[in-house]
Formats: sequence, C-alpha cells, structure tokens
Amino acid sequence: MIEIRFHGRGGQGAVVASKVLAVAFFHETLYVQSFPAFGVERRGAPVMAFLRVDRQPIHLRVNIYEPDHIVVLDPTLIGAVDVTAGLKQNGWILINSHQLPEAFSDLKGFRRATVDATSIAVRNGLGSRTSPIINTAILGAFSKVTGLVGIDSIALAIREELSGKKDENAKAAREAFQEVRF
Amino acid sequence: MTKQFVFKGASQMPMISVSLGHMDWNKTGAWRAQRPFYEDKTSPCSAACPVGNDIVGFIQKITEEDFEGAWNLIREENPFPGVCGRVCFHPCESKCNRREYDEPIAIHALERFVSDFASNLNKKIRKGPGARKNKIAVIGSGPAGMSCAYHLAKLDYDVTVFESSSLAGGMLRTGIPSYRLPKDVLDREISNIAELGVEIRTGIPFGEGLNLDGLKNYQAIFIATGAHRGRDLHVPGGKGRGVFSGLDLLKKINLGRKVTLGDKIAIVGGGNTAIDVARSVVRLGKKATILYRRSKEEMPAFGEEMVEALEEGVKIRYLVNPIRIQQKDSLHRLECLRMELGEKDESGRRKPVPIPGSNFFFEADNVIIAAGEEVELFFLPKGLEKREGIVLTQRDGNTGARGIFAGGDLTSNQRTVAHAIGSGKKVALAIDCYLNGKDSEEALRQILTGEGPSISMFRYLHPQERLMNPHVVTFDELNTDYFEPSRRQRETKDLIKKRIKGFREITSGFTEGIAMEEAERCFSCGTCVGCENCYVFCPDASIIKIGEVLSHQVDYDFCKGCGICFSECPRGVISLKEEAR
Amino acid sequence: MKKVITGNQAVAYGVILSRVDVISAYPITPQTTIVEELSELTASGRMKTVFLKVESEHSAMAALIGASTGGVRCFTATSSHGLAYMHEMLHWASGARLPIVLVNVNRAIAPPWNIWSDQSDSLSQRDTGWVQLYCEHNQEVLDTVLQAYRIAESVKLPVMVVLDAYVLSHTSEPVEIPTAEEVDAFLPPYCPEYTIDTQEPMAFSTIATPDHFLEFRYKIQKAMEQVPEIAKKVNDEFRSRFNRGYGAIERYGKEEADILLMTSGTVTGTSRIVVEKLNRKGYDVCGLKIKRFRPFPVEEICKEIKGAKKVAIIDRNLSAGVGGIFAQELRASLYSREKRPQIFGFVSGLGGRDITPELIEEAIQYTVDHPQPEEEILWLGLKK
Repeated sequence: MIEIRFHGRGGQGAVVASKVLAVAFFHETLYVQSFPAFGVERRGAPVMAFLRVDRQPIHLRVNIYEPDHIVVLDPTLIGAVDVTAGLKQNGWILINSHQLPEAFSDLKGFRRATVDATSIAVRNGLGSRTSPIINTAILGAFSKVTGLVGIDSIALAIREELSGKKDENAKAAREAFQEVRF
Repeated sequence: MTKQFVFKGASQMPMISVSLGHMDWNKTGAWRAQRPFYEDKTSPCSAACPVGNDIVGFIQKITEEDFEGAWNLIREENPFPGVCGRVCFHPCESKCNRREYDEPIAIHALERFVSDFASNLNKKIRKGPGARKNKIAVIGSGPAGMSCAYHLAKLDYDVTVFESSSLAGGMLRTGIPSYRLPKDVLDREISNIAELGVEIRTGIPFGEGLNLDGLKNYQAIFIATGAHRGRDLHVPGGKGRGVFSGLDLLKKINLGRKVTLGDKIAIVGGGNTAIDVARSVVRLGKKATILYRRSKEEMPAFGEEMVEALEEGVKIRYLVNPIRIQQKDSLHRLECLRMELGEKDESGRRKPVPIPGSNFFFEADNVIIAAGEEVELFFLPKGLEKREGIVLTQRDGNTGARGIFAGGDLTSNQRTVAHAIGSGKKVALAIDCYLNGKDSEEALRQILTGEGPSISMFRYLHPQERLMNPHVVTFDELNTDYFEPSRRQRETKDLIKKRIKGFREITSGFTEGIAMEEAERCFSCGTCVGCENCYVFCPDASIIKIGEVLSHQVDYDFCKGCGICFSECPRGVISLKEEAR
Repeated sequence: MKKVITGNQAVAYGVILSRVDVISAYPITPQTTIVEELSELTASGRMKTVFLKVESEHSAMAALIGASTGGVRCFTATSSHGLAYMHEMLHWASGARLPIVLVNVNRAIAPPWNIWSDQSDSLSQRDTGWVQLYCEHNQEVLDTVLQAYRIAESVKLPVMVVLDAYVLSHTSEPVEIPTAEEVDAFLPPYCPEYTIDTQEPMAFSTIATPDHFLEFRYKIQKAMEQVPEIAKKVNDEFRSRFNRGYGAIERYGKEEADILLMTSGTVTGTSRIVVEKLNRKGYDVCGLKIKRFRPFPVEEICKEIKGAKKVAIIDRNLSAGVGGIFAQELRASLYSREKRPQIFGFVSGLGGRDITPELIEEAIQYTVDHPQPEEEILWLGLKK
C-alpha cells in the first residue's frame, strides 16, 4: 500500500488534488481511498488531504500517520506546519516552488523535488494571478518524480473530475511533468 | 352515531388504524360552523380610478403575456389608455395596497405600455355590426365628450361630435404640452373613436354657428364644452399688454401658433397649468419663475411634475402674491406682498395672509396668469341651472332639460382628465337609459366599482359576468407571506439637457420584459389568479378542481369550515360566512 | 460502471436508481452533500422527483409521511441533531407502517460541538420502530439503499441506512454503479396496501382505544420479526443479480475461535486487517461484523458464536450509565442462551477519534489476557 499526504491551504484544492490523483491510479486498475482531513476549515488555513493506493481492496479506515510521500501545495507551509511528520525514509516530498530542491535544506534527509506550479498555472490561465489554481499542475510533477502513475492517467483523471478548463489543466500537468526538478 | 367496532383479536384487525371502508358517508361538512366561498372583490386601485378601469384584470393579462387581452380589457372602460397612461394623476397608485408593503405598482406605466403595444400592432376596435339607433349630439371633443361618444357608439348610437376648434381633443390638445402627451398619441386615440362610426365636426362653435334649435333631430344632447377661460388675477394692470392667460399661451404653443415673449417670464399660480406654462417657456429658451401665494405643501400641481420642472430650471417662489402689475416700456414690474399661512380655509389648506409692509418688486418681460380656469357660461342655452361657476346636473348628468345632459369640467371642480373620461362614460349610460325608458339612478347603482363613484361599463353590458363584491380589499385582508419585496420599475427619462431642447416626450415606456416584471408585482387584490394555496392547504380535500383547473367551488359535504383556505389566500378572494342553523 | 465516489454520492446514486418519487430534506453537516446532489438532479430535470423544501427535519419527515401515505416512494437524509429533531415523526412513520427510507450519516450530538463520526444519533432512535442497517464501505452504502426499499416495502416498516461521517460520507473510493435496468429488475415499483384516494376517502391513523392499541403494536413487532427472513431473501436475490451481498452479520478471520471481535460501521474494515494479522501470529480470534442493528440479529449471532468463550465488542457510541449500546443489546440477547460467553464491552472513537489498528489490537490483547472484564465499560484509547 502507498499512502500520500497533501498539504495545502483552505481553498487551494488539496482535496481535489487527492481525488484526481486517486482517479488516475484507479485508471491504472488500482484500489484507491481519498479523503480530506475532516475539520472545520477556513480559507487560507492549513489543510490536509490523504490518498491510499493498493493492489487489494482497502479496508483500513484511519487517517494517514506515516505517509510514503508528501505533496506541498504552498511552500509557506514549510516551517509553519510539520509537513514531514511521519514521512517514511526514502519518501518523496514534492513542493510547489520556483526554487531548486536544494533550497529546502531543512528537509535534508528526504528526497526533495520542486516544481513552479504557480507559474505554470498562471501561464495556462488557471485561477487568477493572485490566487492561481495549482492543484492539477503539481500532479503532473508527482507522476514524473515518483513514477507511480502515468501522466496520461493524470490527464484523463483531470478531464473526468474537473468541470471547467479541462484542456488548460491537463496541459499544465504535462508542463509540470517536464519542468519538475529533482 | 357511528358504530363502535371491537375486534376479537389482532388477526381480524387491519395493519394500521384505518377505517374499514371508505368514509364518504361521513359528511364532515355537517360539523361546519362557517362556510368558505369564492368571491372576487374590488381592488383599491380600481375603486379609486375615476375612469373605472379594471386594473387588476389588465395587469393580470400582462403577466400572462397577453398584451392584446390587456388592451381589450382597458378599452371596455377607457378609450384613452395612451392619454391616461401619460397624464393621469393616477389616484389608483395612491390607493395601491402594495404601497403599504414596499412601493405601489406603476399602474400608469403599465397602461401606457399596453396602449403603445397596441399602437405598434395597429390594433383598433372596429365598428360594431348593429344598426345605428338614435342620433346623439355631443358638444365638445375633449375627454368627456369623446368618452361619451365612444361608449354611445359601442351601444350602437349614431353620434356626432361638434368641436369649436379646428382640431378635436379639447383640453387634451390645447392644454397639455406635447412633452407630456405627444400629439400622435392623442390623434391615434381620437381616430380609434372615429373609426367606430363617430362623426367629428370641427370648427363649429356652440352658441355661435350652432344652437339647440339646430340640434332638433338629435334625440339627446351632451354638452361637454369644458372650462377654457383663464381666471383673472383681479389686480391693477392684470390685463395689460404682455400679460397673458396661461391657458391661452398653452393653446397657442400646442396648436403651433407663433408666440412672442421676452426672456424673463413670471408665472402666477400654483396649479398644473402654471407648471405646464413654466416648462413650456423654458423649452422656448426663456427663464421661468413661478410666483405662488402659498407654500410648497399647498401647491395643487402634481409632485412629480414639480420635480421635473425644478430639474429643468424653473424657479418657484412661495408665499408671494402680486398686488399690482406696472408696465414700463416692455418691462413689467410686479409689486408683490410676502404672505404667511393662517387658518385652514374651506379647501382644507392653510390660507395665505399678507404680511403688512412686506411689499417688494419682481421684474419680468412677460407675466402669465395661471390662477385657475373658469367655465365660459354665456353661450350655454337658457334653462340650465348654474351655481358657483359650474352647471348643475343630477348624478347621471341630466340637466333637468329633457334630453340635455352635461358633464366634464363644465359640471365639476374636479378637473382632471380621468374625471372627465369617467363623466362622459356615465352620461353615455344615462342617455342609453333615458332613450330606453330605464331608471338611470338604479342602473348606475348596479354597476358601481366598489363604493363608486366610478362605474363599470362592462357590467352594464354583461350584468351576469365577472361578478364582484363591491367590498374594497384592504391591506390587512391580504396574506403577504406569499409575496416578496421588490422594487417598483421606473420609466426612463431623457437627460435634462435633451429635455429642454424641445417638446419631445421626455419619458420612455416599459419594454415587454419590464412590464411583465412590474405586472408580476401586482397583489391582484380580490381577484383569484389560480395560485392554488386553497387547494394545497385544505386538510379535507374539499377544494374542487375540474381537470387541472380550480373550479372555485367548495365541496360542502366535507368542508369542516376550518378557514385555512380563507387565511392562506394571499389576495382575499375567499370569504367566510356563518352557517345558518 | 465503476466510479470513484464518496459515500454521500453513493447514497445519491442509490436514490436515483431506486426511482424515488418524493424527497424532502433539510441540510446538516455531514449529510448535506447528499441532498445537494439530489436537489440539483431534481432541479435540472435529470431526476423525475418532487423535492420538497422544508424548514426543519421534523417537517421533512412529516412531509414524507404525507407523501408515503399517498402511496409513493420517499427518501430523506439527515444527521445528528437533525435526526434527533425528527424523533416524533420517526415514531409516526413506523406506527403508520410507511416504507420510508432515511439515510443517516452518523455524527456526534452536541455539546460539545462535534461534527465527526459517532453512532449515538442513530442509536438514540433504536426504539422508534425503524429497521437500522449500518454500512462498512461505499459500495455497501449504495447497495443497502437499494435493498432497504425492498425490505421496507415488504414488511411495511421504515428503514434507516447508516454510514459513518467523513470516513465514508466524504471518502472517495471505487464503487460499482449498477444500471437502471438492473435495478429496475431488482426493485419493482412500490405497491402500497393502503393509500389516500380522494375518490374513496378513508380515515387514516384514527384513534385506537385501549381495546386495540396493544394489538397494533403487536403487529409492528410481528413485522419486525419478519425482517430477518425477508432481508435474507432480498440479499440472496441481490447477490444473484449483482454478485455481491451483505448479511445481517458477517464472520471473518478464523472459522471458529475462542475470541470473537464484534464491530459495526467502518471499524469493521480496520478490524479485518487486525484479525488477519493476529491470526497469522497465532491468536485464536475471529471477527464479526454487525450490519443490522434493528431488529437485532440474535439468532444469527448465536449461530456464529459457536464455541467462543469471549466476545470483545467495540462501540462507537455511549449510553451514559450503561455503556456501549451494541454491547448492551448483545448481553440482553445472550442472557437466555445456554452458552453465554464473557462480554468485553469497549467504548472507543467517540466524536470521530480514529479507532486505529493499534487500539483494536489492544482490545483483543486485553480480552486474551483477562478471564473476564474488570469493568463493565472498557474505555479504549481514553486519555486519563
């Protein structure tokens, strides 16, 4: 079983990212379980979402305490929240940032990857310049970095799960797939 | 008494506590102490309309997008919807129940919308097929005369209208500036009347070329010559050169005659004529100042027109009264006294009292007197009873002289277009009664709208249809839980700069969408619109539908008289009465 | 067609496929997305249903009582305080024998305010005469809604389908969605025994004097007693059509064991993993999932207890003064039996706290280590 944890801020679409990634894995005939950290979230407050993937049906019904990989939608969360809590050795931490992975020296000891999903989103007209929607782009980077799920599955899942700007979102994911640094 | 069942055991009993057979035998209606019944009632707007329009009726037609139906309904009572929609002072809106909820319905604008719509379709009422009966002469082609001629023609009379002026319309043509009432609207509505077979003969002044002797082969005569003479100011210099009557000036402008005026115009008076004169001279490029002897609150002019006048640059000086007009070359000096308000007079307004020694002078190139209008009596036939400047008649317009009726401004001090139209309609009915030997008093009583005085011509022609209780529905009788607050729609007006450049109409009518939105706001006081609240809420399924349509009948076999239908009816259509035992 | 959907979406699919005629509901977290979805489907015309907007849950159930008496298929969904507010009308629905289906998303009742999973809301309604079915995963949620109408309309009793807040309601997982044709073949249109007809008016819910009231209640009890057999038949047919099904209870792990772990709702999922792990380690333990709470599956449980000496039961609910409600029911059912295992009643996870594999293991270990419980209520994961 693979367990993934998403960190974002209320309104950034962490829950949708988790769901879209679940659907991508589902298309690769895997069992999935995607859920938000249930709480009374406000816009801008730190939030989490979870995803389990397995070859067998998933019976486990608890939060993810020791994730295999972590996705951070907002780099300002690093330091503000213990994003690596419980992260397994050798786990990837994928960050939306224009900086190189080495810049996150505090996270030494984990495999780091960065992608400038914000620029990619703005470039593709997703959200506004002040609050771009980066949750689809970062999934493209996840595909490349972890190799767990194909970029075509991601693009298909994006088209299925999103109600608008399907092409732009899928394109952003493919660009992030190319541009991610690790 | 119902039979009491005792079952031997559970196996004999039904699954639930339910009657063993159907309960039709149990006529629960027998328990009823009060009986609900459907009864359309009078809306306050219709009751307040001097013309007697079925306002709720035509507004409902607008909500159904049946604009032609609305037009037909209005035309049952009123040949002048285009005129009334523009210049009537709409007492209907002052009485609209919606006023107590948020804002009254823009009834005048809806009436105008319907008439504009009909004109675009070129919809006109065609002459009825009936053979022409008696000949009737109508003297005066103003709103009273034309309304009377219209209804008489619809009653199949052979009507001839005599008009002293060269064009028909009376005060509608000569007294109302075209920025308020465009001439084509008036022409259209007059020609609609003519198309019913009414002959209009212009340029025939009564009392000069025409007298009663010349009308001997007419079986009835309606005199509606109006009140066209401007009242004198009765001050020294009040008849000097350059001092004009407001009505005369308006007439000249309206008939397109040349007027010569200086730049600075003083207008004396506070009624609608004063406002009309002031706004007209502004449009001729002059400066207008109204001098009024009382304060703003007492001013008889309609509020909205005062606002528009002020917008257009008209100045109004209150509590000022000219006592002398002196002339020096072409300049006039008005010696005025300042006034203060004293006790109330017989009109209910506070009487202006001069402040001694407050004399001052006001200079103007011309002085226009608009201090009210009077009836010209000298040409009227002998035998008519006159008192305090008007002709006295009975309630139906009968002058006492056989076959001679009078109405409109000639017989009343309530000198509005709507009152004149209502008066003409009443006389049409009275003439019909007179020529058929019917009691017009009784006939009038039967067809009052609400408590009157306005009447319904439809009900005169169709006494068994659209029955309506004269009770006027009050705001308290509505269930406003079923209405939502909404803004009254407003007609758009031209920019002020554009307005004062000429005599073009300044307001634009509603679009279809806006008209329907506004019509939707109507509470439809006292008239069922088929909302089915009664049907939905009746706990005894006693509101009867035929097919999908409310039958407006109650199944009294089962209605227990709970009154829920009565209290949930949003518009007061259902009445309750105690059961007679 | 298989789709990745939340538990609340699974409910909505179940309702659409059941061709429900009338829905009336009032929003409350975490149930809201069910009725949001259904009202959107209704408003857009994709679902031929009357959606009655009401001012409260009490009114929602009252409206459905009227509609159901009119002979149509009805649905509502609620949660926590909403269900509590419905209480009076829940009695009415069962007393009038109306086959209404209600989905309750288990949520704690305040104070303190808490929107997370806790069975106290639905279990507070255990005496209202409703059948109660608890679900373990989203597939079961959809399938149970379909089965609920068959059961309800057969025995003429209302059915409550229950799922855990968030752990199911907001969790997305793959769910097989049957086609409308498949469901139509399984679930025929509702044929009421009695119905309001203005042409042949009858008096409904008339007064029943002391001469008859007892007998009406007796009939409800008899109907409840039919549920096990009918539910089994319905599930068997469901299994034959859809190749999956759910008993009133389900045993997993070893065929027979000294210790039986009893759970309901999503705790069962996690327990499956723990039991499997402990079996590999040589523990003599097996698991028992309880799906149906009302009528309590006494016969089925007794059959499965076999030679078990101890039953560990985990309750995500509390009847203050007594303990876990499932434990209480179990004790009452076993009293008259010859073989009465020791009951270890654990209370855990109230207000949505995770019942982790570690906690479940701890419960089993305690049961192994003690011949009998030291206390009537064993608090699992309590921070003392």
